[in-house]
Amino acid sequence: MGQPLLVWLVGGVLLLGAGFVTALLPRWWGRAQDRSVAWSTARTAIDSAAVSRDAVPSSVAEAERLLARAEHLAAGRGGVRAARAATGHARRADELWQAAQREHTDGTARRTGDVRPAEGSTA
Amino acid sequence: MTAPRLPRRVDHLRWVFLGLAVVVLVVFLLAQQQSIEVSYGQSPSASGRVAEGSADELSDATLPSVEEMTAQVAADPVVRLPGAVARWNEDRVRAAIGATDTRILVAPPGLTEEQRKQVREVEDVTIRIIGTEVSGGLYGVTADRIAGWRAQFATHDVTDLLVTLITTLNKDPRPEDRDELVWREPTGAELDAVVADLRADRPHVAEGATLTRIPTDAARNAFPGGARYAAFPAQPYGEPLPAYGAALTEVFPGDPIVVMYGNWIEYHGPDAEEFAELAGASFYAQLGSRLSRYDYPQVNVLGAYLDQVTDIRYAGLFERPLPYQPFDPLRVALPALPWLFAVCVAAFMLLSVRSLRRSAGGLLARPGDPQRGGVRARLAGLTALAVEVSLLTDARSNPALTRGVVKLQAARDALDEGLPDRHVSGLLDEATSELDDTARTVGITSYQPDLYLRGRLS
Repeated sequence: MGQPLLVWLVGGVLLLGAGFVTALLPRWWGRAQDRSVAWSTARTAIDSAAVSRDAVPSSVAEAERLLARAEHLAAGRGGVRAARAATGHARRADELWQAAQREHTDGTARRTGDVRPAEGSTA
Repeated sequence: MTAPRLPRRVDHLRWVFLGLAVVVLVVFLLAQQQSIEVSYGQSPSASGRVAEGSADELSDATLPSVEEMTAQVAADPVVRLPGAVARWNEDRVRAAIGATDTRILVAPPGLTEEQRKQVREVEDVTIRIIGTEVSGGLYGVTADRIAGWRAQFATHDVTDLLVTLITTLNKDPRPEDRDELVWREPTGAELDAVVADLRADRPHVAEGATLTRIPTDAARNAFPGGARYAAFPAQPYGEPLPAYGAALTEVFPGDPIVVMYGNWIEYHGPDAEEFAELAGASFYAQLGSRLSRYDYPQVNVLGAYLDQVTDIRYAGLFERPLPYQPFDPLRVALPALPWLFAVCVAAFMLLSVRSLRRSAGGLLARPGDPQRGGVRARLAGLTALAVEVSLLTDARSNPALTRGVVKLQAARDALDEGLPDRHVSGLLDEATSELDDTARTVGITSYQPDLYLRGRLS
């Protein structure tokens, strides 16, 4: 009787374990993947914002503040929500800097009489 | 079209196995029933608890009050209450008592629990006899030999029990049991009456016997080939017992014959030597104390005896063929169930691992997996575009290109980390829009990513 009893016990434990594993493992994996996707997006946004910042000669205080916040969040290595927030801040900062850059180049172009439009038309 | 359908079918199969495993488990659990009855072949003899009085074992005997009984016992060393049946060899008992003051109270059999309690409350009684149950002091005495039970139940003789108890109480040496039963040949007239009934295939019930019928089911189970029954009342003490068994065996050779004297049952006929003593000893050893205390009608005693015979038959001691037993699929399948369960569990585990590996495809896919070719090709094309455009950029278009390169780098990292294609192509989309910007700023239409990629691919 001992051996069949063992079969029932081990079988039951295996079934239960398999149930938990098949239910939880994909969820864990999915969660981990969501997290790394979110951080990948956030890092990209931060890097992109940094590039925009370097392209602008003047400093934009609001954008600096937002990027600092995003970098702070990224340094903290939080979860998906922190990554989303960091992404949002970095994108705003990027937009601000890009706007500042456009303003700057437009001003320069007006002052120096840029030839770019002429070149564009020849192309 | 068949490729995605097959895994799904396998996935469904997994749940079928799980359901099967659960069903097997439930069947196994429901089939578990513990029973104290151990029987070679599921003996059909009746069993179960019975309430006192449900088998007509109580007599209508009435007792005097406890005070009256106490007074009687004080006046007389042996008090026989009305209805008492126990008898004994007075010489032997007197010899055992010797000079000690031993008082005996004899009560009728079949008293209720309440009445037995009254008998126990009577004071200064050395020995109480209820029916033929003998007790005294801390002791109760029961017979343990065929001869003892035969004397007790066939003739209500309790001499041996009394002598044993008295000598034990007085710490005297105990004399040997003595079988005082005397047998005699039945007379011709007696035998003829019995034989006439048995020849007519009906039980013989002598005058005074309480056998009203034969318990049919029990009789069929005990003696499938039929048996002949003769019942007599208990023999008055001291009279020789007519030996009907031997005489009837001569008349009906080869037939099982059951003879009752009072509550004593004898078996004669085929296999009597090995069977009669076993059946009698196991029956009276088990039920002797109840039979001695109560006043059972012979029908019930016979029924119980036949059940005992059935149990012995089913114990497989005599290699007799068992009655047909219907095929029980559950009993046959029961040993296989654990292994069936194990197979189901194994199948479920295997299929689960399969489905897990499939669901983890996003993570476990190797770099260079052909299914990711589209994203990789796009990444390569855009990178080549970025390199080409970088030669033409100036201060204005440079930031957009750099952002594009940063995003391409991020897309490459994501691809290497094994992040899902959706994310990678999202990053590539962003890079594409940056490169688009660059191309527009530079002013060369053919460097617009859409056009550039199309040109490269063609």
